[in-house]
Amino acid sequence: METLLDLYDIQGNIMKNYAEAGFVKARYLFFKLNNGDQGRTFVNSVIPFITSSAPWTDGDENADGVLWPEAATNIAFTYNGLKNLGISVQTLQSFPDEFIVGMRGRRTILGDNGPSDPARWDPVWHEEIHIFLSIDAQTDEAVEKRYNQIMDVLTLHQLDKVILLDGHRGNKNEGTKKYQDASVLYESGVPTSKEHFGYTDGISNPFFKGMTADMGELVGGGKKNTKGNLGYGNPELQSTWLPLETGEFILGHKDEALEYPVAPMPPLMAKNGSFMVYRKLHENVGKFNLFLDEKSKNFPGGKELLAAKFVGRWRNGVPITTFPDEKDADELAMKRQKAIQLITLAKTPAEKIEAQAAFREINKKFHAYDYNEDLNGGRCPVGAHTRRANPRGSLEFGNKKAFDSPSAVDNRRRIIRRGLPYGLTEDPAGNDGNHGTIFMSINASIKRQFEFVLQQWINYGNDFKLANDKCPILGNHSELNGKGEGRMVFGSNSITDDPPYFLNELPRFIETRGGEYFFIPSLTALRMIAEGIVDPT
Amino acid sequence: MPNVSGKAYGLTTFCPIRNGHKEGMANSSLLRKRLQELPENEGSPMAKVSDTYMARFYILDDAIFESYPARLDRLQSKYLVFTSNFHGDLDTYLTGMWNSINPIIKQLWADCVGFEKVDSARSFVEYIKKCQLTNTFFFNGSTDESLQEQLKSLFLKQEFSKFVFAHQGVPAKQLLQDFKDFVAWSKPKVLSSPTWKAGACSPDGICIK
Repeated sequence: METLLDLYDIQGNIMKNYAEAGFVKARYLFFKLNNGDQGRTFVNSVIPFITSSAPWTDGDENADGVLWPEAATNIAFTYNGLKNLGISVQTLQSFPDEFIVGMRGRRTILGDNGPSDPARWDPVWHEEIHIFLSIDAQTDEAVEKRYNQIMDVLTLHQLDKVILLDGHRGNKNEGTKKYQDASVLYESGVPTSKEHFGYTDGISNPFFKGMTADMGELVGGGKKNTKGNLGYGNPELQSTWLPLETGEFILGHKDEALEYPVAPMPPLMAKNGSFMVYRKLHENVGKFNLFLDEKSKNFPGGKELLAAKFVGRWRNGVPITTFPDEKDADELAMKRQKAIQLITLAKTPAEKIEAQAAFREINKKFHAYDYNEDLNGGRCPVGAHTRRANPRGSLEFGNKKAFDSPSAVDNRRRIIRRGLPYGLTEDPAGNDGNHGTIFMSINASIKRQFEFVLQQWINYGNDFKLANDKCPILGNHSELNGKGEGRMVFGSNSITDDPPYFLNELPRFIETRGGEYFFIPSLTALRMIAEGIVDPT
Repeated sequence: MPNVSGKAYGLTTFCPIRNGHKEGMANSSLLRKRLQELPENEGSPMAKVSDTYMARFYILDDAIFESYPARLDRLQSKYLVFTSNFHGDLDTYLTGMWNSINPIIKQLWADCVGFEKVDSARSFVEYIKKCQLTNTFFFNGSTDESLQEQLKSLFLKQEFSKFVFAHQGVPAKQLLQDFKDFVAWSKPKVLSSPTWKAGACSPDGICIK
């Protein structure tokens, strides 16, 4: 039976990729509540601003959806936030352990050690955080306007016990800030989807039941087909893929185990909600550039290929397993870049919708692939970042029918990726400063999905037969006497006759600067939280 | 064949502990305390017993059935449970164990019923066999080779991988010479040294918990 989701009840950051809709600017606010009544008044007063997953229309009254907004706003809560909002002990105790403990408490599992140790996080993460509120919009002005509207709520209702927390590390000589700004990066004034190392980021996202074609890509985004040999078919074919079960991402719906996911009680509190991981990841740009320069001197394929081997995509985002040739990859990337530009340049909502459709057509080449023709990693190393984070059904290692379906062991480890870069790289040779990526992961189980991927697939290699090798780019490599201790093997390539290549001395390129676990309630649950009527019995 | 998988042996033994107490502690509690005080890893007495893949000691108090309705089978005595996965046959292994660590064996089994008659390798083998439980579902989590062979393989694998990473792009002539030096140093055919130490959790002996 077709899955019908109440898109008007599910918060928009779950189903919508705002950046793809041209919302390339964001601001993240974190609040602390010193009084439950004021907290509930605040939540109640911001509900009118909260964006759902309903489609955005150009004003056509016959079309299903809501008018294209000026800004999108979403809200989520920590365990302590819910507690301070007066949620009963019974409901609080029904939340999963990792959510109750929070990110700081899970640091050992997350590999947040050394420079990523919570003791070194931005000052704001040393406070008790209760509410996350995000603003996404097309321009800085629209972000600022929505921010003022939210701040006006505090003034209007005299909410002096609802504190917007200060303490986000700012740029040099800027001190700390009261919010975290984020934005796409620009190249010669043109918006890109790149992060600070120059990689196009946030390309792949899962496709699940209840999503419509305009929300994502089934081909490459779903799971491998479970019927007969269809899942082993050409990855560009629709029939190779099936949508994932909704319950992997949204609570109150059946998941890949064909069960309802573990969720807080009462069911109304959980249904159409989800869990979100927020992480501020600092990028050591100088270290990365130096490493790439030094190591590419002896690497036969040159600097760009070396950079591509780290991630499994050329820095322009094109997958190396299907586009091993740099020129072909560049050509495709140019087309995609132009399509993105057209989305941001579109003036009317109708133009925007058309531009988005054109973008999706080109974007398919970035999704519609797997590793069946590249099992030993001759083109895309088995330990490359994107192959680790989403193995695309390659964990049978060519042993067909080892599992019920080719992707059976990765179907329960998928995450929705959200977020944007923050800050600017002022000095390409420097590591200091305030620049990196705001990473968000949305999943039904933080423990089974996000934490597993980070602990077992990013910071370890056994599932890929790579012993204890970590992800080259995101791995928490240790360093000794100024040299990194991480290493990586590029498989041999039987087509080009390339021998395997061994890369060592990988340092810690990315450091955690803060983060927390949040619960994203449905609009229904949000209203119940605001009214104080969540009844656990 | 029970207890055996290839050349690996899965030994499971239950030795009854005499009821009674000393210094205000039950015999079984005293033994548990002694077990908990044993050194770990390279320092463990079992690291000195050749060909031990993995050994475990614990005290069985009672048999508990944890379903509905929960049931407790009170045993006539508490038991010292000793299990070991090792390479080779049982008699050779237990004889080797007695010869390597009999002062520890005497200490651990001191309060076990009937152990007072054990005073030699032979009587130890006989005693353990009396305590043995037939193990029909033995899964060997190790390869079939002797422990020395396995430790040497592990050592070579790690050292060779270090060699590979350190020699990327080195000219052929130099590479050949360095490899010869590596072979001369690592002595792949000599099992005794250099190698990993039995019980060690890393080459430098550092254990991460």
